[in-house]
Amino acid sequence: MAESQGNDASQGSSGGQYAGPRAIDPVQEHSHDHDPEFITRTKFLSGVAVAGGAVLTAAILVPIAGFAGADAVKTPKDQWVDVGPVSSFPEGQTSSIAVSGESQWSDARVFLRNKDGQLLAIWNRCAHLGCPVEYFKGGDNFVCPCHGGAYNSLGLVVAGPPPRPLDRFNIKVVNASGATVGSVGKVHGSWSTAGLDPSARLLLGSPFSIDSNQTATRLHDPGEPVTGVLSNLYPF
Amino acid sequence: MTTTDIGPKGPVGKVGEAVGEYVDRRAGAKTGITWFLKRNIPSETSWFQTLGFAAMATFGLQAVTGMILAMYYKPDPTTAYSSIQHITNEVTWGWLVRGMHKWGASAMIILVFLHMARVFLFGSYKYPRELTWVTGAILLIMVMFMGLTGYLLVWDQRAYWATVVAMNITASAPIIGPYIADILRAGSNFNPDTLSRFYSIHMLVIPGGIATFIGLHLFLVSKLGITEPPWAKRAMRARRAEEAAARAAARERAPQGRREVIVEPATKPVVTVEAGQ
Repeated sequence: MAESQGNDASQGSSGGQYAGPRAIDPVQEHSHDHDPEFITRTKFLSGVAVAGGAVLTAAILVPIAGFAGADAVKTPKDQWVDVGPVSSFPEGQTSSIAVSGESQWSDARVFLRNKDGQLLAIWNRCAHLGCPVEYFKGGDNFVCPCHGGAYNSLGLVVAGPPPRPLDRFNIKVVNASGATVGSVGKVHGSWSTAGLDPSARLLLGSPFSIDSNQTATRLHDPGEPVTGVLSNLYPF
Repeated sequence: MTTTDIGPKGPVGKVGEAVGEYVDRRAGAKTGITWFLKRNIPSETSWFQTLGFAAMATFGLQAVTGMILAMYYKPDPTTAYSSIQHITNEVTWGWLVRGMHKWGASAMIILVFLHMARVFLFGSYKYPRELTWVTGAILLIMVMFMGLTGYLLVWDQRAYWATVVAMNITASAPIIGPYIADILRAGSNFNPDTLSRFYSIHMLVIPGGIATFIGLHLFLVSKLGITEPPWAKRAMRARRAEEAAARAAARERAPQGRREVIVEPATKPVVTVEAGQ
């Protein structure tokens, strides 16, 4: 670059500069620096430096991103939690329990409804924005304190903003040796109470969402409708 | 009495000047401070234009009080609430510093919004200051996020359930909402990791971002200068001149025969003749 400028000057093109003969004429070198056809050593090494830097940065950032977020978005694996003998949930009543133990759902509050010949486990998480709903024995209904969502005995919406019924937990009943006894009830996730041994243990599984016909779908976050046009906004 | 400026006379002044000179030669400190602080500003600059500095001052207050609170606070579900009770009731002036942090948070949000309203109503976001507005908008988002993450740290019933609802509002955003909420609360539900994650975001992630963007924001403010209030005499003169020029241009553009007619006795006959043709 410098040489070529000096060369221009020697031809007397720029005013004010010495334009006479020189002791040593600069050798005119052809530079490929700005020629897109050529990859010069400088260009190559710059590219290597950038690519190497990118690899090293990725080697730091990828583990950090995975560490920060991967476990959070993982679907929890199914787990069955023993919540007590069937006799703890008497016929004709809705009993409230807190799940304990090492489960992912530990500390969740669940209503065990033993009516119409089947056991249902209804999660207390309001389907609107996740506040805890309360069960009222007198009206046999669930009411959310935050925004006035109200649900009937089965957890189906009767009033307020919730876009779908209350979520439920899968349940099953096992005997002392761990074998399943009885059969699934009329709707998904329920258990028929016909002929059940009162000492058989009730197990709580993973939660799922239902639509207003009690048809099961995958578990949704609060605020997500499971039917209608808006349900397409939550494909995963 | 006549004085001649021959520089500092006392030894302290001489040393001070020498130190300043030493740093300036090497780091350009004086030059930078002069560039940053000794700018020309419009003659009618008003008190409303101090709101941005006030918001930044509350950030400094929050940073300092937050650092000290972090020395006593324990971000664990079993100890968080009791450590706050300890700060409030037992540590010397703990009630005061916690109160400064709590009320300073509200003051910061209010000042940020007043500052934004000032910029909007003065039209200061217009060319060439659009990027200043954009960095300010990012700062606003981060300040709101500080409010959300800090609210949970109190770890009482109100903090817990308000944040549960806030996270579920986040989760109800279409398509990516559930993922954002899962990452923020470290799982599909609130769990023991949620509190420490919010604590980390509140005191490490966002403050770094806010400090960075305050730096960018100030650089742009200093580079571009500040606007004058819309009621400044110079601005009004300029607006009047612009309006007059626009009217003149409109008159030039108007086709023959459809020019605005100035109704004066001398021109009336001319108009009648044109209408009669």
